This record gives sequence, C-alpha cells and structure tokens, in this order.
Amino acid sequence: MATDAGALVARATGVALQAHGLSKRFGKKTALDAIDLTVPAGSVTALVGPNGAGKTTLIRICMAFERPNGGRVEVDGVDPWKHRSEALRGVGYVPQTPAVYRGLDVDDHLAMARSLHSGFDAEYARKRLNQLGIPLDQRADTLSGGQAAQLGLAIALGTRAKVLLLDEPLANLDPLARREFIQVLIDAIRSDGSTVLLSSHIVTDVEEACDRLVILGAGKVLLDCPLEEARQAHKLTDSKSPPPGGIAVGSFAGKGLTRLTLWRVPADAGEGAAAATEPASLEEVVLGYLAAGRGTTGLQLN
Amino acid sequence: MFDRIWLTYKQQRFETLAVAVMCLGAAAWALLASWHLNSVGVPASCLVDGGVPYWNGPSNASWIPGACQLPSQRFTDALTSLDVGIASSLGDVLPFFVGIAMGAPLVARELEQGTAPLSWSLAGARWKWLAGRILAALLLIVPLLLIAGLAADVLRGAQAPGTDPHASFHYFTSRGVFLVLWGVAALMGSVALGALFGRTMPVVVVALIVCLFARATWEPLTDAYVLRGMTVLQMPGASSPGELLVYESSGLYLDGKPWQGDLDAWWNAHTTCTLTDGAESCVGPSYPGPQLAWYVVTGDHYWQVVALESAIMLAGSAALGALALFWVGRRRPY
Ligand SMILES: Nc1ncnc2c1ncn2[C@@H]1O[C@H](COP(=O)(O)OP(=O)(O)OP(=O)(O)O)[C@@H](O)[C@H]1O
Ligand SMILES: [Mg+2]
Repeated sequence: MATDAGALVARATGVALQAHGLSKRFGKKTALDAIDLTVPAGSVTALVGPNGAGKTTLIRICMAFERPNGGRVEVDGVDPWKHRSEALRGVGYVPQTPAVYRGLDVDDHLAMARSLHSGFDAEYARKRLNQLGIPLDQRADTLSGGQAAQLGLAIALGTRAKVLLLDEPLANLDPLARREFIQVLIDAIRSDGSTVLLSSHIVTDVEEACDRLVILGAGKVLLDCPLEEARQAHKLTDSKSPPPGGIAVGSFAGKGLTRLTLWRVPADAGEGAAAATEPASLEEVVLGYLAAGRGTTGLQLN
Repeated sequence: MFDRIWLTYKQQRFETLAVAVMCLGAAAWALLASWHLNSVGVPASCLVDGGVPYWNGPSNASWIPGACQLPSQRFTDALTSLDVGIASSLGDVLPFFVGIAMGAPLVARELEQGTAPLSWSLAGARWKWLAGRILAALLLIVPLLLIAGLAADVLRGAQAPGTDPHASFHYFTSRGVFLVLWGVAALMGSVALGALFGRTMPVVVVALIVCLFARATWEPLTDAYVLRGMTVLQMPGASSPGELLVYESSGLYLDGKPWQGDLDAWWNAHTTCTLTDGAESCVGPSYPGPQLAWYVVTGDHYWQVVALESAIMLAGSAALGALALFWVGRRRPY
C-alpha cells in the first residue's frame, strides 16, 4: 500500500527517479557520497562522469543489485531494495557489459525476456533487430560487440518500461548505430513517455537526445541541471581573469598549450559577461566539472 | 512457462544431454545385467532363504544339493561378473552426478557468464526466476532417475531371485525411489551452493564432498534415530529374507524376550557339575541360553520405511531449495 502511494506521489509530482542522501561504500572506497538527485518523468538525463565516478553503482542501486549504505532511491516512487519486483516491473535496463547467453540464439533471448517479463513486446524488439540487420537465428555469442549491445537495447526497449536505465549503451556502437539509437530513444520517449537515465563518457553523443545533464565525479553530483542551462550558464576563457560575475569551475588543458578555465556565470551577471567571453560547448562544461571533481584546480565545488 | 523450461534445457544442453544419457544408460545396463542373471535359470527348488546359495568352490559347497551345485556355480559367476558388479554400484553414484550436473550451473553459470543482471532485471522477483529453473531441472531428472531406480529394483530382484525387491531392504537406499530422492537432494544442495558461491567449479567440488558424506552417514543415522522404533526382536533361526538389521542390542535375550541379568549367575544356575574321582564334569542346559539380541525391521515394512525416509529427504531438499531462493534474492548478480 505504502509503495502504491509512493508511486502515486511520484506520478503526481512528475518524478521518475529520486535519490536522497544516497551513499555506497565498498570497503574503504566511497563510490557514492550522500548524493541527491531528481530525474523528472519524461526526461532524458545524461549521467556523465569519469571512470570510477559511480555511474554504474548508482544505476545498480536503482536495480536493487546493490544495497545502499545510506539514504535511499525511489524508482517511480518505489524503493527497489524494499519492493524489488514492483520497482523492476517498470524498469528497462542495459548493463554496462553486454549480457548474452552463450549457446542461445537471438530469438531465444527474446523468448526468454517474454517468459520472464509479462509485458515484454517481443515483436517490437524483433522489428528493431531486423532493422539493424541482426539475424534472429544467429547464436548470441557470435554477435559482434556492437550487435550484442544492440540486442541488450532491444530487450530493454521491448519491456516498454516507463523508466529506462541504460549504462553506457553507446559504448560499443558505431557512429551510425549511435545516431540510430538516439533516434529510437527519442521515438520511445515520444510514444511511451518513458524516462531515460543514460550514462556515458561522451556527452556530445547524447546531446541530441538529452534534456538534462548530471555530472558525477568521485561519488558526488557536480552538476545537475537542464542541458540548455548547462550550455548557457557557462563560459570559457584562456585567462585567469573571470568574466563579470563568473565563478571559476575548473581548468583543463585546451588544444595546443593553452589552459582553459570554465566559469559559471549566473543569469543575472549582465550582458557584458556574455559578450566578453566564448560560450562553452557542452563537452567543455563537462571537462571543466570533471577537472573540478578531480581536484586539478584550486577551486572546489559544493 | 514452457518457453522457460525449454530455454533452461537449451542453456544447459550439455548437462541435459549428459543427464539423459547417464540415466538411460544406467537403466539399460541394469536391465542387461538382470537379463544376464536371469538367463542362468536357477530352479526354484535350489533357492535357500530366498536366494541362490553362494558357490564357494567344490570343497566348501558340500552343503549345496548336488543338482543345485552347477546352477549355483554359474549364478555365482554371473553375480561376480564385472557387468553385474558395475551395474549394481551405479545406483550409489548416479543420482549425485545427475543432481550436481543439473544443479551446479543453474545459478552459478548465470553469474559467471554475466547474464544474471539481464535475467534478474527482467524477472523482478528472483525467487520466481529460480523456481522456474528448478522446476525445469526437476521435470528432467525426476522421471529419468525414476527409470534408473526401477531398473535397479529389477536388478536387485534378479540378484536375489527368491525375494521381492519391494519387500527387501537389501541396498534399498541405492535403488527405486531413493535414486530420485538423492538426485533431488543433490540438485537442491548444489543450487543453494551455486547461489552462495556464484561459481560452478567450486560448487561441483564441494557438492560432491557433501554428497559423499551424506550418503555415508545416512544409514547409520536413520538406523539410530528413525528406524529404532519400528524394530522387532528377532527370534533365533527366524531370520526372514530381506529384513533390515537395524541394531544389535547391547543386552541379551532369552526365550525370545529381552533379558537383563547376570550371565555368570545364569550359567551357574543352569549347569550341574559332578565330582567324580576328583575330576569335575559339568553339564549345561540343553537349550540355548541368553544370547545377543538382533533388532530388525522385517521386509513387510518396506513401503513404510521408504515413505518415512522419503519424507525426511524431501523435507531436507525443500529446506535446501528454500535456502537457494533466499540466497539468490540477497546476492549481487555478478
Ligand atoms: N563490487 C565492488 N567492489 C568494490 N569496489 C567497487 C565495486 N563496484 C564498484 N566499485 C568501485 O566503486 C567506484 C565506482 O564504480 P562504478 O562502476 O560505479 O564507476 P563508473 O562511473 O561506472 O565507471 P566507468 O565509467 O568506468 O564505468 C569505483 O572506484 C569502483 O572501483
Ligand atoms: Mg560504469
């Protein structure tokens, strides 16, 4: 009952996924350090961060694969650790390493998914794989890395889940497959109103599909805002002098020998600030925050 | 459901095939060995105590009637032949191989090959996922082991032509329904270990050791704790074919009743000694005195004992299964 109420609240408030003070430690290593995060329903959120930032850990906690040491998450209003099957019913998941059964063919995977997940749309997944030219009768262990990733995506999308948690779904895909995947994702959101949380190293890949950006670094949320805001509220300079009203975020090596600094410029900083400096690209925003997260600048955020 | 069962077999096709070949092969072998024994054709008149008298070579077999000596000799040869010997010991190992072969990879291979995150994310409730796989394994091994167990019963009948294998406790835990029971227990145990270890090879090794231990201690333990209450005191010379010796009493019995008394005093009281010319000669009683008592379960309690032991083994298997479901719900999928 409590979880139903939670789900209702989540729907009413339009929150698909929420983390409150979420912490995860592995021995002495802190993978997530009391993070707070809200993923609005119907959004596509890019979860970006360097290796070991805790992206996979966050997604695994949402899948009830890991138990948090502190705080909690709610997926569509349900705590996955307490009500696993209820929480997972509405989640489609792609693990970071493609999971395929050796000895089963592609169609067997879809049959397996249908037998395990009552709402699985095998036809939809089949159609998608056909479009990609992946033979349904091919043994899954003979698929290329990218094809195996596509199979994983097809299964996740076939669940027609309201929340998709995709752990680096693009990592093994060729440029064309990436574009196509982004298109499919956009379609899925339009037709099913799904919410997507998608981890990636490379923000430019997902820029087109995403409307929110979360940057994780060393287990902390360094930035969590709409993509548009991330673009507009940051400026880049090659000098140490700040743009008017700018707050330094981090500095990193630019092309050549220049050292670039990313500045956060509040919206009320005035026109002068915008004119005086280069607007930062999304990639540069991410680089600036990653540099800050790693502590390579004198300035720490949060 | 059908899809899940079929896919479980397809995923474990080597084990599935191996299990089928092992069970059907063992059954066929047992039937062939029975045929070998039956083909000796020992006449019913030669049976002693429900069995063919054992031929121990010409000098030791003088008690076997002349007409039965040749059949006894040929039957003894068949009984000690390699094919019959191997067939009759298959029942001791087959159910463990079968249970472990199917059970060890059931969870552990999913973890080893990294497919558990996929199936567990799709299934939601992991216990349902595992229950489906266990059901698939049971649907395979139960009928196959039953076939092998019934064939082992036939072989036991052929090894003791005068006795009904279902009223005889000879090797009864290595044949019949016990093959199924051992197999199911080994399956459940190795699934539980698989959920705990997450690796197939360690599960196989540990499960084999545990099974060996369980098999070796089962009979002493059931004799001591389960069957004691069902025993009857055996009269001298009244041993019935197929009975199960449960224990030898530490006490004595006399005239068919347990007897507790001073043995020396009894013999002194029943011995008359006379002194003639300084030499003493004693005469004891003309009937057997107090003897060590044997407590047995007679063959007509066969089904009762089988039902009792089956219930215990099934309860143990269910507990192991519950443990597996519990562990699989708690562990990481990698
Ligand atoms: N099961 C585990 N045991 C011990 N440490 C772990 C475990 N899982 C993750 N970690 C550690 O937690 C930290 C975060 O790992 P995580 O996999 O979440 O990073 P990530 O952001 O997904 O990195 P990548 O981009 O390389 O995939 C890392 O330092 C990792 O070594
Ligand atoms: Mg990762």
